[in-house]
Amino acid sequence: MTTTLEHLTPVGADPAGGGLHRRLNFFTALIFGGLSAFIAWALSHHFLNSDGSGFSDQVTVLASIGWVLGFELGIGALTPIGRWIIGKDQVRDDELYLAGKNMGVRRHWKYCTDHKVVGVQYIVVTAILLGAGGILAMGIRTNLMTPGLHFVNQQVYNSFLSVHGMVMILALIVAVAGPWANFVVPIMVGARDMAFPRLNALSLWTLVAAIPLLLGSLAIGGLDMGWVTQAPISEQTGVGFDLFAMAIVTFTISTTVAGINTICTVMTMRTKGMNLERLPIFVWASVVAAALGLYAFPFFLVVMSLNLADRMVGTSFFVASQGGTGWLQENLFWLMGHPEVYVILIPAVGALMEITTVFARKPLFSYRTALGSMVSLAGLSALVWAHHMFTTGWAPSLGGPFMVTTEMISIPTGLMFLVILGTLWRGNIWMRLPMYWVFGFLFNFIIGGVTGIYLSDIPVDNQMHGTMFVVAHFHYVFVGSVLFGAIGALCFWYPKVTGRFLDERLGKLSFWLVFVGVQVTFLSMFVSGLRGMSRRYSSYEMIFEHTNLISTMGAYTIMAGMLVLLGAVITSWTGGEPSGPNPWKSKTLEWLVPTPVPLENFEVLPVITSDPYTYGEAQ
Amino acid sequence: MTNQNDNKKHHRDIFIVWALLTVIGVLVGLYATPWLMPKSASHTMSMGILTMVIFTVAAAPVAALVYAVCLYALTIWRHRGEGVPADGPAIRGNGPATVLWLVGSTVLTLFLLIWGLGLLGSDQSAGAKASIEAANGGSAEITVDVTAQQWLWSFSYPGTHVKSLDLYLPVNKDVEFNVTSKDVVHGFWIVQMGIKVNANPGVITTTSVTPDKIGTYTIRCTEICGLDHAFMMTKVHVVSEADFQKWLASQPTRI
Repeated sequence: MTTTLEHLTPVGADPAGGGLHRRLNFFTALIFGGLSAFIAWALSHHFLNSDGSGFSDQVTVLASIGWVLGFELGIGALTPIGRWIIGKDQVRDDELYLAGKNMGVRRHWKYCTDHKVVGVQYIVVTAILLGAGGILAMGIRTNLMTPGLHFVNQQVYNSFLSVHGMVMILALIVAVAGPWANFVVPIMVGARDMAFPRLNALSLWTLVAAIPLLLGSLAIGGLDMGWVTQAPISEQTGVGFDLFAMAIVTFTISTTVAGINTICTVMTMRTKGMNLERLPIFVWASVVAAALGLYAFPFFLVVMSLNLADRMVGTSFFVASQGGTGWLQENLFWLMGHPEVYVILIPAVGALMEITTVFARKPLFSYRTALGSMVSLAGLSALVWAHHMFTTGWAPSLGGPFMVTTEMISIPTGLMFLVILGTLWRGNIWMRLPMYWVFGFLFNFIIGGVTGIYLSDIPVDNQMHGTMFVVAHFHYVFVGSVLFGAIGALCFWYPKVTGRFLDERLGKLSFWLVFVGVQVTFLSMFVSGLRGMSRRYSSYEMIFEHTNLISTMGAYTIMAGMLVLLGAVITSWTGGEPSGPNPWKSKTLEWLVPTPVPLENFEVLPVITSDPYTYGEAQ
Repeated sequence: MTNQNDNKKHHRDIFIVWALLTVIGVLVGLYATPWLMPKSASHTMSMGILTMVIFTVAAAPVAALVYAVCLYALTIWRHRGEGVPADGPAIRGNGPATVLWLVGSTVLTLFLLIWGLGLLGSDQSAGAKASIEAANGGSAEITVDVTAQQWLWSFSYPGTHVKSLDLYLPVNKDVEFNVTSKDVVHGFWIVQMGIKVNANPGVITTTSVTPDKIGTYTIRCTEICGLDHAFMMTKVHVVSEADFQKWLASQPTRI
């Protein structure tokens, strides 16, 4: 780890290596993926029994596998291992080429191993996913603007609903951990790159390969199962589901690879003196979330694979008439589904804690409490899944125990509030753009959290489960809290990525639009639910007319705010006010290296003597 | 010493803001919650609404504390002026405050848990309890078999010839529902009675309720079940015992 590639080549010289990689990029990946999908489709069409049940599902799944493998081949993910197998291992110049040395902007289109490039690629991927999910959300809300509007027909509406849910979940899983566990965590721990740079690129491009599958499922349509893919409707719905499920299978591979990489980087690549109690809290948040993901996402892989097997080859895991049960599907799904909420939430909270210390100019209030709250949340979140099943009829006698574990979640969640509030306490609060999102988060997360406690209470859940009240609750958590954390992190680290401030005026405008939009949309959605509107309705009666119209107006406001933010991100990237390397006067390592961060980050690896929270202390 | 005086002032001011916000939250809990929810037609629903009220009231001081500190930070502790503010005090934690916070949130959680578990265990309410009893051979006064299919509900009354697309129930009688589905999963929800259980193909799930008010109420589906999920609803007519018997007798032998 002390050797550096950079210093072995003359400064400014382009690496001579690269080999096959010189010819491969995103476009060759698209071509290879498309060709390979076509070949898999044609072969399976020719050889499989077209009279057999599940024929179209078999063809679709095989074509999806062809797409993913072709895409990986075309981007160059398999080239290094191929060279290793034939004995022509990559040499230093090849690795430098892969890291994108002196390549300029072009390296963002390639299989690039530089963790900072991967971080930027994740920003773009997150924006694309949020954009796609946002457009679908607008479709849903437009359809619900007035009773019986039928802006889209019911079939299209259900597909919108299913894909909106899943796209947004994937977007939020990667929204904080994707860009920032890649861009800043290695620098924060004092490393020159991730532990496995090639796996880092692999996780990114595998995620990219999953997106066309997920959005393609929308094009085929007929997805009646919601994002929870409840059986048996998910066994009967159209072939779009095969693409949908294959997107998840691909996605779980991506997150598993990324999670292992994050954990290994932090555990093995820390610089001298960076012991575990000196790690910035965001690093811990990334590690805890990655570890929790390694527990949770295999269930995701399994539940989708079993579902596909039922559809393709006549197994009957979830088919009641043949000895299976839909409750198995629900259990497996929520074994993933609840921990996943914390995979999403914890990095966002970690980033917000990091922001709070910098802009309150104070040490983090009780580092160990912060760490303890994250670890206990992760642990508890594995033991609460059946609260999603209180009204399914499955194992009523487990209702009480799951109610206990679920309500216990509010204790570590409360500690997270204590840490942020304690850090604000008597600070000199510097109200720059990132701080707006911290206060927005605190405001919204209380509402999202408290309404979650209502739902954990079985007598209340018997009334509220499956209504718009639940939808409003988790949107307060996902949009009001996690998305706020993600945008706060973007505003905070944007100067480190680009060397420029995110436009403060546009940024604040977008904050107010999104903040007000969230209150308008989801407070009135709570009312729809309280008054008795089921979720996933494509139409409704007159009694829900006003609250739905208000929700739709609020949703448009959120969209307007997000578009303003997108405009600010794009225009400030090259035209923003120059920030210098450490505009916030922060003490974490990523701010102490130059901007733009050079390849391999550090000239000389730093030696750490204290944690980065020494505000107000004698140095 | 100024530090201590400062701290005292902060504590007092924040306490005042907190108290004000708590009062607002309690009022919202007491009045807005029951006003926004449907009028109850069963004891189960009444207890559900009461629980919502109690939880909102209990949550009010917590939310008020967070909002009070935020408001204070945004106004009094806000850095005014250009450039990076000076460092704040190096507070790396506060043992008593952390313990107090932990104890407070634990006590509150325990209170909510005891309330909820007590309600779950009491025999007048909560569908899940009823399902346990039913599994052990229930003791309801009336049983109704509920069958869901895309996209309608049908009801039959065991021991009689009656089958119906509307649900008729006598007031103040303990009713047990045996719920199943002919195709995909549906959610059986009587909106004004606070009970809900999924209708699963190949399985019978149960829930029970005692309607306590004569009137017409709504059944909705709460699980996405295909194209017409939004239209899968029907009426519940809660009538007097005499009217119920009259209705049973008036039904044709086949529908």
